[in-house]
Amino acid sequence: MDTLAARKLSVSAALAGRPVNVIDNLDFTLAPGRILGIVGESGAGKSMIGRTIAQLLPPLFSVSQGELMFDGQDLVTMAAEDRRELLGRDIAFVPQEPMSGLNPVLTIGRQIDEHLARLKVGGRRARFDRAIEMLEAVHLPRARELLSKYPHQLSGGMCQRVLIAMAFASRPKLLVADEPTTALDVTIQARIVQLIAEMQRQDGTSVVFITHDLRLAAQICDEILVLYAGRVAEYGPAREIFARPRHPYTRCLQLANPVMSGARRGLFTLPERMPGLAALSGLTGCAFASRCPVVKDDCRSVAPPPVEVGPAHRAACLHSELTATIAAPDLPAEAEPSAAAPLLTVNNLGKTFRVGRGFFRHESVEAVKNVNFDLADNEFVGIVGESGSGKSTVARMLCGLETTTSGTVALAGRDVSAGDAAARRHLRAYAQMVFQDPQSALNPRRRVGSIVTQSMEATGTGDRAARLARAQALLSEIGLPPEAALRFPPQLSGGQRQRVNIARALCAEPRILIADEIVSGLDVSVQAQLLNLLLRLRRQRGFAMLFISHDLSVVRYLCDKVLVMYRGEVVESGPTAEVFDNPQHAYTKALLAAVPPDDPSSAWSPSTEASDRDAATGNPL
Amino acid sequence: MLATVLTLIGRRVLLSFLILFIVSVLLFIVLRALPVDPAAMSLPPNATVAEIEAKRHEMGLDLSLPQQYLIWLSHAVSGDLGNSIQFRRGVLGLVASTLPATIELAVLAMLVASLLGLAGGLALFHVRGTAKEPALDLGTVILLSLPEFLWALFFILVVGVALRWLPFTGRIDPDMRLPVTTGFLLIDSWIAGRPDIFRSAIEHLILPSLALGIAFSPAIMRVLRSSLIDVYQEDYIHLARLRGLGEKHILIRHALKNAILPTLSLMGVQFGFLFGGTLLVELIFSYPGLGNLMVDAVRNADLPIIQAVGLTYCIVVLSINTIVDSLYVILNPKLRLR
Repeated sequence: MDTLAARKLSVSAALAGRPVNVIDNLDFTLAPGRILGIVGESGAGKSMIGRTIAQLLPPLFSVSQGELMFDGQDLVTMAAEDRRELLGRDIAFVPQEPMSGLNPVLTIGRQIDEHLARLKVGGRRARFDRAIEMLEAVHLPRARELLSKYPHQLSGGMCQRVLIAMAFASRPKLLVADEPTTALDVTIQARIVQLIAEMQRQDGTSVVFITHDLRLAAQICDEILVLYAGRVAEYGPAREIFARPRHPYTRCLQLANPVMSGARRGLFTLPERMPGLAALSGLTGCAFASRCPVVKDDCRSVAPPPVEVGPAHRAACLHSELTATIAAPDLPAEAEPSAAAPLLTVNNLGKTFRVGRGFFRHESVEAVKNVNFDLADNEFVGIVGESGSGKSTVARMLCGLETTTSGTVALAGRDVSAGDAAARRHLRAYAQMVFQDPQSALNPRRRVGSIVTQSMEATGTGDRAARLARAQALLSEIGLPPEAALRFPPQLSGGQRQRVNIARALCAEPRILIADEIVSGLDVSVQAQLLNLLLRLRRQRGFAMLFISHDLSVVRYLCDKVLVMYRGEVVESGPTAEVFDNPQHAYTKALLAAVPPDDPSSAWSPSTEASDRDAATGNPL
Repeated sequence: MLATVLTLIGRRVLLSFLILFIVSVLLFIVLRALPVDPAAMSLPPNATVAEIEAKRHEMGLDLSLPQQYLIWLSHAVSGDLGNSIQFRRGVLGLVASTLPATIELAVLAMLVASLLGLAGGLALFHVRGTAKEPALDLGTVILLSLPEFLWALFFILVVGVALRWLPFTGRIDPDMRLPVTTGFLLIDSWIAGRPDIFRSAIEHLILPSLALGIAFSPAIMRVLRSSLIDVYQEDYIHLARLRGLGEKHILIRHALKNAILPTLSLMGVQFGFLFGGTLLVELIFSYPGLGNLMVDAVRNADLPIIQAVGLTYCIVVLSINTIVDSLYVILNPKLRLR
C-alpha cells in the first residue's frame, strides 16, 4: 500500500469572494521508503501540501475535492482527533526555520521529553535515556549537556538536528520536510540532507521533501513533482526529469540556475512572475502560458491535461516536445575590469569585537583578521564563506557601518579607515551598500520614488520634480515601469523590491556597490533576472562590486575574483574560475564539495568533517 | 541564573541611591517653593511676627536652600526625617505605621488585577474572530474607561450600603484591638492567633482592592491577548501542532510561557500607577494608609510628611521595578548570562 497518495486533490481559498484553487487536481503516489521531491518557487503551493497533510490550513482555505490517503485512510475526511493521533507519531515534520521551530523559553530536554511523553515513552528516566540516544543518533556530541540548553544557545544546524531527532523518535511512516536546509549554510545543508536520508534508510520512512532547489531534489529524491501555481507541471522519476525535462517550466528553472562545473553559460530569465490568486481565478488555459518561451495559441485557451511522456513520467503541457528546444541564452558580453590602479585597496583589515558584560569578564572575538584585497574599476569580487566567517563584517566596515580595529582601506587613493566625518563623506561619494533583505531595508511608508532618490535628498540636490524624473529614469534602468515611483514597497514583489534597493544605491552614481547576500531568499527565476540585471548595469554604467554570498554557483556566474573566508580570515583568493576549478585550501574544497553536483548521477560527497565541526562547537556566533 | 539576578539587583540598588537623591532634591525645592510658612503654621494664630521670626530661626528656615537641604540630608541618612508639624511626632514612625496598610491594599489589588487580567486576556484570545469578540471588546473598553474611584463609589453603594454584605470603612472592625508586630494586619493576626481579626481585615480589604484591581485589569487583558496572538504566529506553535500536541497543552506549556513576558513588564509599570492609585481609594474608604496620611499632610502643609511620603512612593516603585526585572530574567532564558 502506498504511504501517501493524492487523488484529484484540490485546495481552495475563499479570499476574494469566489473560491480559487491554490492546489488544483493534485495526483501523486508515494511508496514506502521512497523520497518524493516537491519542487517549485514561492507561491507555487508547496507548503500548502504540507499543511494539507496535517489539515492545518490557514483560515478560509479548505480542501474542495479529492482525497489524500495516508496508509489507506483519507486524511481529509478522518476525525480530527484520529488525525492528531497520527501527527508526530506516524507523520512527522521537519520545518524550514529550525531556530524558530523550538520554543525559546523551554530547554531542549524539556521539549524532547514532552514529545516522548506524548509518544507514551514511560518514565522520566526512560525518556531521558531515550533523549540522549536520539541526539547521538543525529550525531550531536555531548548530548547530556545539550539537554539543559535553550534553543538560542544552539546554532541553526544543531536546532535542525534536534528537530530531526524528534521527528524520527517514533520511526514515522511519513516525514514531511519543508525546505529543511534553506536557512542553513551550504556545508550544514549537505550534512542535514544526508542525515535525513540516513535516518530515512534506517527506518524505511517515506519522505515528502519540499524544496525550491531542483538540483538538490534530483540528487536525493526518487521522484520529483514540479509544482507551478498549484498545478502539477511535471511528475516522474527524479533523474529522468532532471535529464529530460518535458515541461517548459522545469527546463526554464534548470536553465535559470547557474552551473557549478564546465563552462559558464548564460542564465535563462523568465519574464514577470507566477500568477497570483487573483490572476488564477479567471484563468483559462495553461497557468504558465504568459511566461512560456515556446507558447502556442492553444495554450491560452485549453488547460493542459497531464500526458504520459515516458515511463511513469507525466507532463502537463500541450507541446511538451518543444521543451527540448529551449536553450540557455549566450553569456552576456562582459565589461573588462580596468587594468589601471585599483579603486579600493584593503590592507590587513581587522575587527575585534568585545563580548560579554562587566569590566573584567569580557572576551575579545576576532571577527575579521588580516584581510587583504584589491578591487579594480568594473571588477566584481565575491566573498564566500559560512555564516560567522566575517564576510558581512568586512562589508559593513567598508561602508563605514562598523569601525575598523586595524588595517587600512584605501579608496581612490585616500585612507577611509579612520571613520571620521570627512572619510565618511569620501566613502559615500564612492561606495553604496545594498542590503540583504529588501523587505526591511525599504521604509514601507515611503513611496518608491522618494526611497530611490534618498541620496539626493540627503545632499539636498534637485527639487521635487527633478527627483521624480531621476527616480523614473532609475526605475526604467532597473526594469520597473515609471509608475512604480508612486507605489509603496509592500505593493511590490520580492524581486521588484530588491530592484528598488539596487536603484537606490545607484542613485548616487557610486563607483563601488557593496552587496550583502542580495539574491539569497529570492526564487531562482527572480535571482537570474537580478544577476543579469547587475551584469547589464555594469556594462551600461560601469561600476565595481563586492558581492557577499553563501551561494557558490551565483558567485561563479557573476564574479571575476573570489575570496574564501573562514573564521575571519581569507583562506584562499584568486580568479573565480581558478579557485573553483582547482581549490587549494581544505576549506574551499569542503565548501565546493557541499554543493550538489550539476549532474545528479555523479556522486555527491560532501565532507562530513567540516560540517560536524558546527555540531561540535555549537557556536552560534 | 542566580548570579545574573543578584548582579541585576545590586546594580539597581546602587542606581536607586542616585535616583532617591535626585528625587529628594526635587521634592525639597518644590516644597520650599510653596507659598506656605511652616513656622507660622506650627504656632498659635495669635503669635506675633517676632515670635514667628524666632521660630523660623529655630527651624532653620532663615538659612539658604542648599544649607537647609544639607541639614535635612544629614539627618535623613541617619534615619531622622524630621517631625510632623501637625502631629509633633517623628515622620519616619508615622510612615512606618501606615505603609503596611497601603502595601496590603496594593498587593491585594494587584492580585485582583492580575487574576482578572489573565482570565480576561485568555477569554479575549479565546473568542478572537468569533461573533462574541465585539461584545467582549466593548466590555474591556468600558472597564478601561471607568476610573478606580467610580468603582469604589459603586461598590460602596451596592455591596456596602444596599446589600450590606461587606464593610467599607477602616481596616478592621472598630472594636478590635491587636498588638502591632509587623504592622501588616494579615500577618499580625496570624501571629496573635486571632482568625476573627484576619477575617475582618480581609473583609475590609475586599471592596477597596476590587475597586483598584478592576480599574487596572483591562490593560493587562489587552496586552495578554495581543501577545498570545503574536505567539500563535510563531513556528514553534505550528510545529507543536504538527507533533500532535493538544490545543490546551500548547496554550499552557508553550504559548502562555512566552506571552506572559510582555504582560509581566506591563504589570510592573501598572503596579507603580496602582500604588499611586491607592491614595484616592484610601480616601474614599477611610482606609488608614499612606494615602490618607499624605492627604492630611497636604491639607495642613505638613512639609516633612509630604517629603517622606514622596520618597516612600519612590522607593516602592523602584523596588517593584527591580522585582519585575528580576522575574523577567528568571522567566526569559535569553536574558541570562551563559
